[in-house]
Amino acid sequence: MADVDEEDYVYFGTPIEREEDTSSRKRKAVAEAGTVRALAPWKQEVKDEEGRRRFHGAFTGGYSAGYYNTVGSKEGWTPQTFTSSRKNRSEVKKQSINSFLDEDDLKHIGGNALETSMQYDTFGFTAAEFARKKAEEEQKKRPSAIPGPAPDEIVLPASSSIGKKLLMKMGWRQSSSIKDSNAEALYEIRREARKAFLAFPSGNAEFELLEKDTVDTDEFPEMSTDVSCKSGNTPVYVLDPKQDMCGLGYDPFKHAPEFRDSKKLRESKSGEKNKGKIRMGGNLLSSSSGKYAPGFGIGALEELDVEDEDIYASGFFDYEQTEVELEPSTAVKEINGDNMLRLEHKKQASLLGFKPASDSDYKLERFRPPAIPPNFRPIHKFAVPLDQTLKDYNNAPPPDALRPEDANLRLLIDGSAAMVARCGKSIEDVYMEKSKTNPLFFFLRSGAEGHDYYIRKLWENKQKFVDESKQAEKLTSEKRGRILGERPLASTTFGGNVVSVKAREVINKQSTLGDTSTKPISLADLPESATKAFKHDPAKQERFEQFLKEKYQGGLRASGTISSTTTSAMSEANRARERLDFEAAADAIEKGKRNTQISAPSTDHAKDLLGFGEDRFVSSTFIENPETKEEATKAVYPKREQFEWRPSPILCKRFDLIDPYMGKPAPVPRPRSKMDSLVFLPETFKSTNREEAKFPVRGSLEASKSGLKEAEAEPSGTEADVAPTSPKNVERPVDLYKAIFSDDSEDEVADAGPTLNQAPDPVKSSEGANKTLNRLVAGDFLQSLGMELGLEVPPDNRPGPPLIANPISPPEQRESPKGDDRNNTALTEVEDTKSKDYGSTADYSREKKRSHSRHRRRRSRTPDPDSGSDSDSDGGHRSGSKRRRDRRDRSRNRDNESSDEASLYRKERRKKHRSRKHHEHKRKDYGDKHTDMKRRS
Amino acid sequence: MASGSELPVNESSVLKGHEGAVLAVRFNADGNYCLSCGKDRTLQLWNPHRGIHIKTYKSHGREVRDVHVTSDNAKLVSCGGDRQVFYWDVSSGRVVRKFRGHDSEVNSVKFNEYNSVVVSAGYDRSVRAFDCRSQSSEPIQIIDTFQDSVMSVHLTKTEIIAGCVDGTVRTFDIRIGREIVDQLGHPVNCISLSNDSNCVLASCLDSTLRLLDRSAGELLQEYKGHKCKSFKMDCCLTNTDAHVASGSEDGFIYFWDLVDASIVSSFRAHNSVVTSVSYHPKDSCMLTSSVDGTIKVWRK
Repeated sequence: MADVDEEDYVYFGTPIEREEDTSSRKRKAVAEAGTVRALAPWKQEVKDEEGRRRFHGAFTGGYSAGYYNTVGSKEGWTPQTFTSSRKNRSEVKKQSINSFLDEDDLKHIGGNALETSMQYDTFGFTAAEFARKKAEEEQKKRPSAIPGPAPDEIVLPASSSIGKKLLMKMGWRQSSSIKDSNAEALYEIRREARKAFLAFPSGNAEFELLEKDTVDTDEFPEMSTDVSCKSGNTPVYVLDPKQDMCGLGYDPFKHAPEFRDSKKLRESKSGEKNKGKIRMGGNLLSSSSGKYAPGFGIGALEELDVEDEDIYASGFFDYEQTEVELEPSTAVKEINGDNMLRLEHKKQASLLGFKPASDSDYKLERFRPPAIPPNFRPIHKFAVPLDQTLKDYNNAPPPDALRPEDANLRLLIDGSAAMVARCGKSIEDVYMEKSKTNPLFFFLRSGAEGHDYYIRKLWENKQKFVDESKQAEKLTSEKRGRILGERPLASTTFGGNVVSVKAREVINKQSTLGDTSTKPISLADLPESATKAFKHDPAKQERFEQFLKEKYQGGLRASGTISSTTTSAMSEANRARERLDFEAAADAIEKGKRNTQISAPSTDHAKDLLGFGEDRFVSSTFIENPETKEEATKAVYPKREQFEWRPSPILCKRFDLIDPYMGKPAPVPRPRSKMDSLVFLPETFKSTNREEAKFPVRGSLEASKSGLKEAEAEPSGTEADVAPTSPKNVERPVDLYKAIFSDDSEDEVADAGPTLNQAPDPVKSSEGANKTLNRLVAGDFLQSLGMELGLEVPPDNRPGPPLIANPISPPEQRESPKGDDRNNTALTEVEDTKSKDYGSTADYSREKKRSHSRHRRRRSRTPDPDSGSDSDSDGGHRSGSKRRRDRRDRSRNRDNESSDEASLYRKERRKKHRSRKHHEHKRKDYGDKHTDMKRRS
Repeated sequence: MASGSELPVNESSVLKGHEGAVLAVRFNADGNYCLSCGKDRTLQLWNPHRGIHIKTYKSHGREVRDVHVTSDNAKLVSCGGDRQVFYWDVSSGRVVRKFRGHDSEVNSVKFNEYNSVVVSAGYDRSVRAFDCRSQSSEPIQIIDTFQDSVMSVHLTKTEIIAGCVDGTVRTFDIRIGREIVDQLGHPVNCISLSNDSNCVLASCLDSTLRLLDRSAGELLQEYKGHKCKSFKMDCCLTNTDAHVASGSEDGFIYFWDLVDASIVSSFRAHNSVVTSVSYHPKDSCMLTSSVDGTIKVWRK
């Protein structure tokens, strides 16, 4: 069955050979073929097609090896003479494909080898190519005058093409054009024919002539027209005729193709014919908008910016162009023309392959602007003023009217009444106009249905409108305040003439803000004329009064009230100066010298105050006074102002100057705008006093107050001595240290206060003292930090025993240190009362504090810096609350803790050092006096 | 006019070498050499007395607006449109350091007395001081109280003086830590110090030069006649402080008498805006530079 079936089928193609069909040996041989070939020759085995080794006899050696078991070489054992390869190296064999092919391959390949044939080279290209190749080959072999490959134009094909051959056979000659030769040939034939005709009888001659004419005109039109072509060969077109003086083959635009275009353009411009045909290529210098300085491009990574615009090319100057190729005079025009053309091109936006039409049918139709009637006024005025109409309706409320039943009508009346109320009489006129045609608006006419209602509605609307507008314009800050239930600020007036309304405003504001609870105390006990020493400057006057109050009332005073009197905008120096003025004035009052003229240095403070206040407050009662504005703008130039400015310590160092702000706290940033002041104030507030929650204003005032103290402390001699000795202190941010130590120093002061009751004004002086303490502490902190970090810290050269062994010092000074101290405190106290050496009381208290701390410290002095004994020993002195605050402080500055301890110790030591130094100074003075006295006696 | 005869009004030589506008030309400290900088992003060192070009310094990425050389002629500092201040070694012509920090073009730059600090003024409304002795390229001081572009900066031993387009001349006294603002009411284009450093000459954009007394801030004199409305131009006092010199936008040079503000001399020097004038510290010799790409040396 199966056979029958198979016979029925017809098979196409060859069946796929199955794997199993091939013998396993053969497969193995195929698989091994690769590996075997990789083996060394002597390891390879000879095998037949089936992969079997040839076995050539059990007795002759088994399997066959190379060269029939002789040796491993073709020559076998044949003896040979030795030839050294040293002299004659193996020559370089020229390898070709044949050397890699065996006979079989060659046999296969040999039949199909392709060769070029010259026979059908119609246009001679192949011949030219061939010739060029030949020439190149030859060139390699012999030296040539022209180095490098020969130019194509020089090499001509040696053989002529088949086409040329054909043409030659057809009678074409080298120097004549193809068409011509053809025509000429034909013409020749005809001529011959004509000659033959001429030989015929003359009766046919006329016909002949006619025929000739027709032939001439019909068949050879070019003969008559294109005579010039007759004799010449096809003209040789040279694409770029050489017109410049550059060397052969030199392309001046090789690296700057953008200039080629501009040159072409210039040429095309000079030759007027083909104008506008040049299309600009990608030009590097091209820019969308106009003028950029020629000559200098910008970097690839930079953008063309406004900065690159050529601001100087403003008309009266043309750059000298420096390109080699372009004439200088035309260069600029070139570029300008360039831009114009490009612009034009852009404008037309013609597609590739399209050309903008030279004359288009489309024309933009332009209309003349409408003629304005001569009596036209550009401002529209309502026929009846709005207020007038409002007033009318204000007065006479029309009688209440019934609303019409028709809901639509009612809506319409409501709407139009509202409209008329808002927009005035004119819109009513419009409606009236409408009512003539439209029955819907009949209600406008008197007597019609709904007219009364309309009148009533209109009146109501207007009433409402008036109320609204009234409210909108009358709601001032006062009213707002009243609505919100605020207490109106009591406005106090000052005696004497006032610099400006604004200034007074500000002062009012500040005083009311500062002490809302307490009224300014009138200095009744003092004569009026004396206390009004600064009459011309109310701000200053107020400060002065405050100063007097402080001075004569004395005692403890909440720090809050201090802040209300001074302004933070004042610079430290100004404040110091003013302070001195105040002192002088107060002295004058005291001594009863009423007629002394107290010169007020400047009105700077008032100005500062003004600027400061303006930024901060928006006055409630002050309505902007145009006159003051005028004054401000009319100010004569040049105007001089002074501000505080902080040079950085390193800048001072580089300029070889002493930093004027060395060791001073961070400045209060000058408020530039409202926003600035708002942003910065909390900062200063935080840094100055964290304890009390106050107004931000007050915080800043506080800061300025402390600054004032600082300024006062400055002129003292000891400060100047101490300050430059620690260049280390230069780079520290003072605030940080203050944040860490300010509480501590307060404690110190608090300690110092009760023990030294004799101090004239302990609270006031405490702030100045704080600052100096902070400064010292900060220095110590750096030192301790350096120690912790393992850096070498320069030793504190404190004056030791030599001080005591001072030969000049009197014998009682040479006693025990305790006695020494006592003497000194006594001395300072004495000086307190009489001397004017120091600008402020801060120094005295500081001195006291030092001497006091020295008393305390004597007991707990330990040589070990890490013991932290300071706080332990202090424990006895401190009250519970102080200690608690301390603890809080510590926890806040947890990371600074250890250094805190160490620095506390150091601070104490430094303080001692300072006081000792000072004592020494004093001692010297004293000693001198002593010796003087001795001498005198 | 007797006083006018000693003015450098005769063209001695022309220094050509810049491509495009020359934006500034400066004598060195002793007046033997001069430096110029311009729109072609180069600085050039010249001997103006012999009229020869010595060296070109290239590294700027944009136009160079100002240059200053140390008193020992060892270092240069230059600034310009690339927002950086370049600190050069004169002899090798290499950039030793680039000070960054300005947010915008830098208009003017100066060394301090000890050549240790470079102070630059920029369009970013700030004056910045850079430390030449440290490796840092960050400014050691930023003064940003200006309201507008700072055009010109000068240094004395203790002060930084800067003229600003907001119409102020600001003096920053390092010694006492104060900023003194002299408002002139007109944009200040250039400032120049008198040789005794007591006065400052400010060129304002209302075509007026104003002479201010520095200690009191008083206006001593105004000089008018030239044209200065839109370009950054220099002004200077002569070496004897007897005359005031300034360029003009129409290519003229003007000399005024310092005291009575009369125009002593004016002549056409260039084809275009005179960008810079620099007076010899000792002799009667002046350099002018212009947008037309030339630097001219003037002698009496």
